[in-house]
Parts: sequence; structure tokens; C-alpha cells
Amino acid sequence: MLTPYDFQENLQQRAQYIRNRLRAGSPVIGISYDNGVLLLALKRRGRKVYEIYDRLMFSAIGNQADVENLRLAAIDFAHQEGFVRSPDDVTIQRVVGFALSPALKKAFGDPLTTPFVARALFAELHNQPERDLFYTLNYDGEFMPYERFAVIGGTQTAEEQAARYLEANLSSVPTFETSVAWALTAWGIAYEAAQQEDIDAVSEEAGRTRLREMLNEAQVELGVLERQTLRENRFRLIPQEQLEPFLRRV
Amino acid sequence: MWTQSGDFYELLQRYQAQTGVRVPLLTPVDAPIDAPSAALEVHGTTVIALKFKGGVLNVGDRRATAANAVMYDRADKIIPLDDYTLVAIAGAYGRAMEVVRYLRHSFKYYARSQLQPMSLDGKLQEVSRALSANLPNALGGIGLFLPILSVYDPDQGRGRIFFYDVSGARFETPEYGAAGSGSERIRGVFDYITKTKGAFSERPLEEVLREAILLLDIAADLDAATGGVDKVLPTARYVTHEGVFEVPESDIRAIVQSIRTGGNA
Repeated sequence: MLTPYDFQENLQQRAQYIRNRLRAGSPVIGISYDNGVLLLALKRRGRKVYEIYDRLMFSAIGNQADVENLRLAAIDFAHQEGFVRSPDDVTIQRVVGFALSPALKKAFGDPLTTPFVARALFAELHNQPERDLFYTLNYDGEFMPYERFAVIGGTQTAEEQAARYLEANLSSVPTFETSVAWALTAWGIAYEAAQQEDIDAVSEEAGRTRLREMLNEAQVELGVLERQTLRENRFRLIPQEQLEPFLRRV
Repeated sequence: MWTQSGDFYELLQRYQAQTGVRVPLLTPVDAPIDAPSAALEVHGTTVIALKFKGGVLNVGDRRATAANAVMYDRADKIIPLDDYTLVAIAGAYGRAMEVVRYLRHSFKYYARSQLQPMSLDGKLQEVSRALSANLPNALGGIGLFLPILSVYDPDQGRGRIFFYDVSGARFETPEYGAAGSGSERIRGVFDYITKTKGAFSERPLEEVLREAILLLDIAADLDAATGGVDKVLPTARYVTHEGVFEVPESDIRAIVQSIRTGGNA
């Protein structure tokens, strides 16, 4: 029979299991810049950054099938709402807060189902950069809004260290070029911090070294939503040749 | 196990079944067969699609009518469905806009969920499906409209034009397409132009744009329901290998002025 103690222990074990699996995840950095929003990640295979709707994109770390389920649930909700109501009513807080979060919470709390092994980052584009929004969504359904930039990584410390670095360096509305440069270093810091449990602060240099090392085995994936564009779709993945100049400077 | 096929129609059906919210597009309107639809319904009139060297140009007047009343003189009947597809609409405005909204979502839903764009044939088929779903309405006298689809085909490296009948049958046309009340009156002119000045698909955009506006002007002269080019400027959009673009108003105004002040008016 389950007692209150068992219930708590069960949740802790589930959380521990998920955190252990997320630790190895490749971080994702989101930054809002003058002409858009970007999500930057490193991938070994497959895709990392995905378009959800006209002004929404997404990336996540965790189990591939769980990430895929989240992605499709978000796309389904966004498109049926966008058609039945209006594309203007498809907002990050409705998608994350109402469509996804309760389902994650339910799966996490139910001892008879497998919980989602995933932590996701959503980005929403607005007409003014000051209004761009990021939401992180956790495996237990917890979500959190951010402005200007946001980070998801293997551990909480990893996220905090990368965020501190961005806070210290990022100007209020950066350009695309500076955003990509800072995002790359922030990625290195977050990844390094997730690997080294007992370290207080990862230096910028240590972050860059780790990034250089990882670039030998993985590729940068950079997805953007463009504020001003003639194209029908605002989302695009930046092609590798356009990333080369940034990678040479790492 | 249920698998995601990227089919937007199926998504809407599931939504309707789960929520009980009625999606208008999925359920035909119960119209009496002898409804005085022409008096109730707003209709868009004349749209023209012409090929040019490198793509396809669409031009449409701005008038929407209900019977012999002019309901609206700023209707936009040339609408991008995605980066390489334009649709030009003639006929029942309300139903057409609903289907356009459906198609835009359908193409994007497929591309976003399946991580690959819908094929050209898939898109053309999707238009057929939307039209055949609309057939009961059209037969009932409400919601009859005809789309012309202009695409850039990256495999063949050229623009292509497709038109449809009410039941969803699809036809490809080699040089030009037109729909709406005004288009009937000027049908022969297209042939005259290709026979005297050569194929539209071999001529530059500027020349073809001028022909299109002139054709629209003639249609307005011969058809009371066509808005013409003077009071409100027509819309013009074109599709090339680089995507869908709008012709700036100033360019259209310059052509209209030159037609009025001399040249070949």
C-alpha cells in the first residue's frame, strides 16, 4: 500500500532518474536580438531546433521520443487554435502553460506511467525586441518565463552559470553577430558546468576550450525567427557556411 | 498505435470530435437548393495569372459584389499560401477565404510536423480535396469559387499555373489562366497577345505586368462587376525561385498612368 512517505520517495526517485539522464544533454541558448530571436544548440545527429508556429520555435534536451511528443503536441495545439481562432491567439503562454504543462505534470506524478525525460525551451517573436519571450518547460510541468535570453542545460548550475555570463556581457538589444558569438561561449560554459559537478564558476576560457573540443564531434544548429522579412515563413535554420566565420573566431 | 501523418484535415476532425466545437469547413452549410444566394453572397470578380521569364505573375482587381451591389472595393484576391505558392480567387469570397486559411495551415502544418515541405503534387491534391469537400455547398448555390494556383516548381526550374473546376478537377495551363466574370469577356485577348507578341513565359516581368493591367482594364470596360484599375489600384504579386513578392503600388500606378496618358490605351 502507498503511504505519503512512499509517494514522496517515488517522486524523488523519478526526479533523480530524469536528472541523471538530462545531465548529458547538449544545452540550448536563446537570445533576443534586434532583428529576431535565435536558439543555438550543438547536435551530433538529427535536428535540435524546430519551428512550432509562425512566431514560435522550440528546442529541448532529453529523450528523443519524449522531445518529439512535446514538439508534435505543441504543433497540433498551435495549428488547431490558429485556424479555429486566429494566428494572433497562438501565444507561448497558451501553448506552454495550458497545452503542455498539465500533461507533463500528470505523467510525472502518475506512478504507473513513464515520466517525460525532457526539458524544453520555447521562444516567441514579437514586433519589438523588448517584448520577445522565452519559456522553459520542465519534465514535471513547471514552466518559467524569461525576457532577453534564456538557457536550458543538463543541470541547474549549468543554466545559472551560462545565464550569469550572458547577463554580464549582453547589451540590451544586441545585433545578430554579437548574439551568436555570446551564445557560443555561453553554450561552452553551460556544457562544461554540467560535466563538472563541484565547480563554482566556469571561466569564459574553460567554456571556449570545451566548445572547441565539442565542435570536433558535433555541429552547431542555429534557428532564427526573423522580425523583418519578405518571406512568408519567419523561421529558418542558418546554413553551415554562414556559421563558419563565427566558428573560426571561437 | 496512432501515427502523426501531418494531415491538417485529420487534426481538425479530431479537434471537432474531442471538443464538440463545430469547425465550419468540415460541415456543409444547410442551404435550401433554391436559395437566392447571388443576392446574399459576396463575390470576387476578375483575377489573371500570366507566366513571365522566371516565374508567374498574378493580378486581380479589388472589387467584391453581391448581385449588382458593389460590397467592397479593397478585396485582396491574390494570396500567398507559402513561399512558392500563390492563389488567385474568383467567386464566393467568404468560402474562398476560409479555404485559403485552411490551405495555409495545411501546408505549414505538414512542413512543420513532418520536417519536410509538402510536395507540389501533394499541395495541388490538397486544393482538390478542399474543393470537393465544398461541392455540396456549391451545388446548393452557396460558396462556389474557383482558384488559380501559381507555383514555382524547383524541380523543373520554372513557374507553373493550375486551375480547377468546382468538383476539384485540376488542369495545368501552359501560358496563362484567368477566372471570374471579367475573365470570360477577355478570353480571346490572351490568345491574340501570345500569337502576335510571343509566349508570356519568354517575356520579362515588366512587359507582362503591363499586359496584365491592360487586360484587367479591358475586362472592367466589358464587365460591370470588375473593378478596373483607376479608382483603387489592382493587386499584383509574383512568384519566382526566390519566393513570393508584391509589386509595389508605385510601379502599378506608373503603368496605369502611362496607359491613360497615351501609349496603348
